[in-house]
Amino acid sequence: MQTDALIARAQEGDKNAQGRLVKLWYKRIYNFNYKFFFDHDLAMEVSQKTFIAMHKSIGNLQDVSRFKSWLYTISINFCREELRKKKSNKSISLNDLKPGEGEDSYRWEESGNRGENPEHQLRHSELSDMLQKCLMELSEEQRAVVIMKEYEGLKFREIAEALNISENTVKSRMYYGLDGLKKILERNNITKETVGYEL
Amino acid sequence: MNYKPDEATMISYMYGELDAKETEKVHQYLQLHPDELKKYHQMNDALDIIRTVEDKEVIAPPIYLGQDTHGNPFWRSAYFKTVMSIAASFLLIIVAGKLSGLEINYASGELRISFGSKQSVKQEIVQPTNLLTESQVQQMINASLTENNNVISANWTETQQKLDKSIKSNLAFNSQRIDDLMKSTSQASQDQVRGFVSNLQDENLRLMKDYLQLSSKEQKKYVESLVVDFSSYLKEQRNQDLQLFQSRMNSIEKNTVQFKQETEQILASIISSGGKKKNSY
Repeated sequence: MQTDALIARAQEGDKNAQGRLVKLWYKRIYNFNYKFFFDHDLAMEVSQKTFIAMHKSIGNLQDVSRFKSWLYTISINFCREELRKKKSNKSISLNDLKPGEGEDSYRWEESGNRGENPEHQLRHSELSDMLQKCLMELSEEQRAVVIMKEYEGLKFREIAEALNISENTVKSRMYYGLDGLKKILERNNITKETVGYEL
Repeated sequence: MNYKPDEATMISYMYGELDAKETEKVHQYLQLHPDELKKYHQMNDALDIIRTVEDKEVIAPPIYLGQDTHGNPFWRSAYFKTVMSIAASFLLIIVAGKLSGLEINYASGELRISFGSKQSVKQEIVQPTNLLTESQVQQMINASLTENNNVISANWTETQQKLDKSIKSNLAFNSQRIDDLMKSTSQASQDQVRGFVSNLQDENLRLMKDYLQLSSKEQKKYVESLVVDFSSYLKEQRNQDLQLFQSRMNSIEKNTVQFKQETEQILASIISSGGKKKNSY
């Protein structure tokens, strides 16, 4: 079924259509939130809030073609809210107190498809975490733009709509985000060659 | 080359969103600036590196979506609740009013709110003792009207007399003033006329003099310009004649030279043909 038709049905209160929309978009929204926070629990929480908000206000969505940017707007708003809460109430995940190494690491527990090639999977997971940490060093605004463009595949216009800023501002944030990322990667001695070797 | 692409343009270039002309400009700029080109490549490398981060697999948890608004009975709708709460408030007010014996009356512009039973108010009407009869009142009105009419007529006569007197005195005063004015006018007229005529003559004389002076100046200027124009015309005409004469002379000279050449050619051909005939004999 076409997504537009699904959205239209969801707007009419069709629970089945709403459920299918959640299934369709949950992975994308979760991954966006995960890359934004680098925290599974927070990503899950914000994703759930996003879809509950989607259910409540999908009837108010005027233009169905803007569903994607609208959904990301909801998500980024909850992300910002969580960041504010986090700043005012600093807490550390129990996992972060003692992350462990190798197979003791909780990342090992979290990594999927462990049966295929455990060593490769673990290395890949560690590299992803390292790159994720580099992403976390970017400012909140730059991080949101880089994730939306590079991982979520949004067009600059859609990002501008989602963040309610101009397209030029989006591109400018992207430029400074990439410039910052380049410096962070240099500082951590991460190059294309080392990444190729790791993989 | 002063062109320097801004950050937005660089990002558009990176993602291939620029048109051909702009792309070429940025390309040339990068070729001319190796540092910028290096930075651009490093940023591209950073992009390639972060693209290796893969998505996490996640299963959408069951999300409790609350009650379906379409299946709600009407008594649970906000509208019904509002209406019912207003109705309940009214009922409460009515019951409280009934218990406290509240009574609200509106009669002949008077709003009366009362609690409990009604208490009668005794009204004492005081009857007037000395009443006048109808004929007595009529007589009083008539007497008053007669008196009023007399006063008005007396005032009217007095005002009329004053008005007549005032008109007469005004007429006499105005005629006296007109007579005085006429007398003074007739006495002063001879001298004034003479003065006026002499002034008029002087002014006319001055005007004529100015006009003649101005006219002679204008004429002089005009004649001078005419002479100048004529002389320039003559000069121009002479130049043109000379040019014409020169061109004619040139033409004649050219024709003469041509004629001379033709004659020489004819003579040469006659001489050569004469020589050939001689040889043939």
